[in-house]
Amino acid sequence: MEFSRRNFIKFVAGGAAGTMLSPLPWKLIDDIAIWTQNWSWVPVPAKGRFSTEHTVCTLCPGGCGIEVKKIGERVVKIHGGEGFPVNNGAICPLGAAGQQILYNEGIRWQTPMKRVGSRGSKKWEEISWSRAIEEIASKINSLRDKGTPEKLAAIDGNFSRSTLALLIKRFVNAIGSPNYITTPSEEDTYSMAFQIMQGNKGPVAFDLENADFILSFGCGLLDGWGAPGRMSNAWAYWSADKHAKPYIVQVEPRLSNTASKANMWLAPYPGTESALALGIAHVIIREGLYNKEFAEDYAFGFQNWVDEEEKKHKGFSTIVMEKYTPQAVQKITGIDSKEIINLAKKFATASRPIALAGRGKGILPGSLYDFMSIHSLNALVGRINKKGGVLVPDELPLAQWPDIEYDSVAADSVAKERIDKAGRGQYPFAESLINKFAQAVNDGSSVVETLLIFSSNPAYNTPNNTDFIKALDKIPFIVSFSPFIDETSLFADLILPDHTHLEKMMDTAWPAGLQYPVYTLSRPVIKPLYHTRHSGDVIVSLAKKIGGSVARSFIWDDFEHALKDRVKGLYESGRGEISSNKEVSPWKNLNAAHLSKKTYTSFDSMWEELRGIGCWFEPEHSFGNWSNIFHTKTKKFEFFSTDIDDSLKGYAGKRPVQDILATLGISSSGDEVNMPHYEKKGAKGEREDNGIVFLPFEIINLASGWVGNPPFLNKTLFESQLKRDDIFAEINPKTASQYGLKEGSRITVRSSKGEIRVRVHIFDGARPGIIFVPAGLGHTAYDKYLKGKGANPYTIIDGTEDPLTGQPVWWDTRVEILKI
Amino acid sequence: MKKDNNNRGARYGMVIDLDKCTGCGACVAACASENNVPVMHDESDKTRSINWLQIYKITNGKEFPDIEIAYIPRPCMQCDNPPCVPVCPATATKRDPNTGIISQIYTRCIGCRYCMAACPYHARSFNWFDPPFPKGTERSLTTEVSPRMRGVVEKCTFCHHRLMSAKQRAYAEGRRELREDEYIPACAEACPVNAITFGDLNNPKHKISQLIKSKNAFRLLEKLGTEPKVYYLSSKEWVRRMADNYLQGEFESRN
Amino acid sequence: MDADLKKSDKYGWVFLIAGLIGALIVGWIIFPALLYSKKEQPIHFSHAKHGPDSDAGMSCEDCHFFYEDGSFSGIPKIAKCIECHEDAELPLSDSEEEEKLFTDYIVPNKEIPWLVYSRQPECVYFPHMAHVKMADIECNVCHGEMAKQDSMPVYKVNRLTGYSIDIWGRNIAGLKKNTWDRMKMNDCAECHTEHNKENNNACFVCHK
Repeated sequence: MEFSRRNFIKFVAGGAAGTMLSPLPWKLIDDIAIWTQNWSWVPVPAKGRFSTEHTVCTLCPGGCGIEVKKIGERVVKIHGGEGFPVNNGAICPLGAAGQQILYNEGIRWQTPMKRVGSRGSKKWEEISWSRAIEEIASKINSLRDKGTPEKLAAIDGNFSRSTLALLIKRFVNAIGSPNYITTPSEEDTYSMAFQIMQGNKGPVAFDLENADFILSFGCGLLDGWGAPGRMSNAWAYWSADKHAKPYIVQVEPRLSNTASKANMWLAPYPGTESALALGIAHVIIREGLYNKEFAEDYAFGFQNWVDEEEKKHKGFSTIVMEKYTPQAVQKITGIDSKEIINLAKKFATASRPIALAGRGKGILPGSLYDFMSIHSLNALVGRINKKGGVLVPDELPLAQWPDIEYDSVAADSVAKERIDKAGRGQYPFAESLINKFAQAVNDGSSVVETLLIFSSNPAYNTPNNTDFIKALDKIPFIVSFSPFIDETSLFADLILPDHTHLEKMMDTAWPAGLQYPVYTLSRPVIKPLYHTRHSGDVIVSLAKKIGGSVARSFIWDDFEHALKDRVKGLYESGRGEISSNKEVSPWKNLNAAHLSKKTYTSFDSMWEELRGIGCWFEPEHSFGNWSNIFHTKTKKFEFFSTDIDDSLKGYAGKRPVQDILATLGISSSGDEVNMPHYEKKGAKGEREDNGIVFLPFEIINLASGWVGNPPFLNKTLFESQLKRDDIFAEINPKTASQYGLKEGSRITVRSSKGEIRVRVHIFDGARPGIIFVPAGLGHTAYDKYLKGKGANPYTIIDGTEDPLTGQPVWWDTRVEILKI
Repeated sequence: MKKDNNNRGARYGMVIDLDKCTGCGACVAACASENNVPVMHDESDKTRSINWLQIYKITNGKEFPDIEIAYIPRPCMQCDNPPCVPVCPATATKRDPNTGIISQIYTRCIGCRYCMAACPYHARSFNWFDPPFPKGTERSLTTEVSPRMRGVVEKCTFCHHRLMSAKQRAYAEGRRELREDEYIPACAEACPVNAITFGDLNNPKHKISQLIKSKNAFRLLEKLGTEPKVYYLSSKEWVRRMADNYLQGEFESRN
Repeated sequence: MDADLKKSDKYGWVFLIAGLIGALIVGWIIFPALLYSKKEQPIHFSHAKHGPDSDAGMSCEDCHFFYEDGSFSGIPKIAKCIECHEDAELPLSDSEEEEKLFTDYIVPNKEIPWLVYSRQPECVYFPHMAHVKMADIECNVCHGEMAKQDSMPVYKVNRLTGYSIDIWGRNIAGLKKNTWDRMKMNDCAECHTEHNKENNNACFVCHK
């Protein structure tokens, strides 16, 4: 019995037969098939109980209620909050992709970090919270010991009126620095225009849902402007009922989503909106279509007038009649005079028209004279504080915190001039000027030793961010509170990461542009994923660490207590309600005497309800009243601003006002300086004479503010917007052929500030003579889903500054186009 | 091809009002998040990226300032006469006679991509790679839809799992019939301007059954006879024409 | 030479049988043993000591219940255990397993990482509601006589597929005596077909 070749074969044959008679091959085939369906690296989502938590989205100041769907402790989906007063179920693409902002590890700082390498080397080491807070406290204390706490500055992107913004400002002031700087927005320009013309700085409130004619000078009503959830809801309401639908006119040089949905689209040359508005005013006055009651009894400076010194002044109507004939305006704006006349008549004869100023989403500021000119249309047709018009509301009845306690050091230096010079002199109306801050640091006129940066990414989206980045280089100690690995935080020396929106409590006091008072409160729907801390809590502990009067100005245990103290004001006012009722749209019956549906009997029960529902609101407004809503010097709506007049005289001092206008960058003269008017572009010359104009634009599906675009939204970009890492600039075919450009051509766009590389998308919706580049790409930070994709249009912005406000002009950059 | 239009059950369909649609993309984000749709590093490569719902931008082709644009959100058309089904050699995709929805079973798919070639709407995507999720975001995957693996085709299912959970809820309440609003896909729910209406085309009481009778209603590439169950509404003639890939003089020459 | 050949021919069948038997042993015994790895449950939970016939006298639904939305709770969370096993100082029994429950899970408030015998593949959607409530199927039809078990069976997991052995069936030949012996697609389909529910076997009825 030998193991010969033959027997071996027999053995194998037997083995084969045995194998076939065993389950081995059959089971193996089956299992292998299943194996190929279950690669170990394909994620298997953890099972758990489904639940829904109600909160508020705080990715933008829109104040939308959201429903967060969870499986176990995991957030899996975000829906619009049904019945929530602001958005009633609507959600924007950014909000819907919010869980990616929470979970995307590549964009988040997970723990406090201290820079160890040189700036920009991206070398960091972890540091404990207590050590980090100690380090900042000791920096601040040494500034205070030297008597120079004003060398600390803070840049804050939190929503105006929000508790976190107020808390940060309080902290900066309490240690003795006046240098609390906010990131600029359209609301700032509106506030200034309202301050000047109406004497009030209250929230910006537009009763759009009740308007029957909306004349929007560039507001991207459907492109993410204001409170996007509210605007979508309004569009849904208008689309469902043709009687409710207003006639919408969109004035902007590019065919945006809003323009494409509008009844009329006018594309003037950018920066000439004020001329167009005044051309419309001209026709309205000429045709006698203005509201005579308002113009005569409640407005100042409409007719010619004589001042105390018997000096004669031309009124708004006279100047507009002289200077802004439709023909003259046609020359300035490029809009046909017949269209201007037609539009003016339509606007003035509508029953509830409203005119709006702004650009895109309203993340960036506009021009004061533009806003004044456009708002004067609302005044002309008597649409202020009327149903469907621009409302003049009071502030929310939130409680004030006790006054800050200043010690001698703080009291001295908090009164010093701000680094950005806002609020006095040349910029009497501005509250804060981030561009001037950068300038002052760069030219060495001011020294900043410590900079705290909250909820903003100025190194990315400040117009002309290169100047800002240069300024950062000169500041020895920078602390970033950003939860994100954004451009600005990469310049920081210390990173104290905040929670992301779903992990923290935040409030929105009056969502942008809403016509009735709303206070929203978000609450954490998930435990913090990482070793992050609420910036509000960090501020409170920092104040306590610094001690003395600073600590005594922060009497609260934490952020929540500080916020609760403000909310007590809502309770004590006895006003408003907390409810979510799908059936009632609060704006529908603002006028009606409102039956309060209060269900709470104590502050504690109110607090519980507010936390659960997330929204306090008051569907009331007293319309029609013109006699005591204007708080200007004349107690009237001012076509001629006594405020500007006084401020300029004050600034000029002994000099005649005429002499200082040039330094202020104002090209007009005389009374016009105090009135809505069109500012000719000075140095750069008119129109196309001086090269092609470069204009960034915003789209709703591309986050262009502080929060980076979530990966899901990359899916929504067209191939004509982003192809691989190339972003596309939209150019009219006529302009393209002038420059010999074809679809997909690669070009360099160069301004005096720098250059970006883009590709060309030929688009008839682009006004000739302008090159349009979307904002939101071109990041140099975040993760691979954002970093290095496209170009950042803000880097090459080369604008002047807006007269009187000092805000950056970002719509007037001239560029060269170079083919690659 | 014989129509497999089995009408015993429901025939779920969708009407998208293009006059309302602002092209905001909330439906796309909601869809991706609802269905565990992976995100490529380079989403601009539309032949590689996975899109269950994609928005197309069309223009009327006129010059400035007469140009108009419209957006066409494109889910799976859930054709009653689906070209993708008969070509599947693995029976991985079928028309569900209960719902009219075209099912796609990833574990059955062999990745031959015949269905993709057959679909005239580009509604199907192939997983050329292991489905990529930005690091950390796999924590937000839902258990309601199974994550796919490399080498299979996927597409919109009208959020079929939502039908199943709606049924489950109804069963819990002792009902067998669903109310009209109980089952809607994520895109229809997310649409902030209510441009998407969803319902049973076999149920005359459903709003959708009225909407499709509108003179503004049309379907994409109707002439191919695929009988899509996704309808569009547009008051603009140029939009309706473009939907059928209409060429100047095309029909005249045929006669 | 001839003799050798003869010898080889004569006893050739031995090799054949050896190969055959060897392969059968490998295929029927060694292979299944190698294919499945065994895992112990974290706690030897006794259904019998909790069930209807025990002192605890609980019903299946006390722990395995439906939520309001009709979804099934599955295996209870630790919070459910704590409802009865409240205090580590006052255990309800002197069993070592209960002690483990307290020290390892209840006191540090950790969830018990149960191994689920009937966990279906990720591509399967199985609503308990439709089966238990609408079709009136008893738990044991699929899960066997769990309520009577005094200890947890060894959990075996397929090294290739990662699935529990209870899906493919504990019988390596794939034989099935009871309805609960196997939970493969065909077993679902068998019942679906049997109950002659119209179109009950459409792919999306069970797949997700």
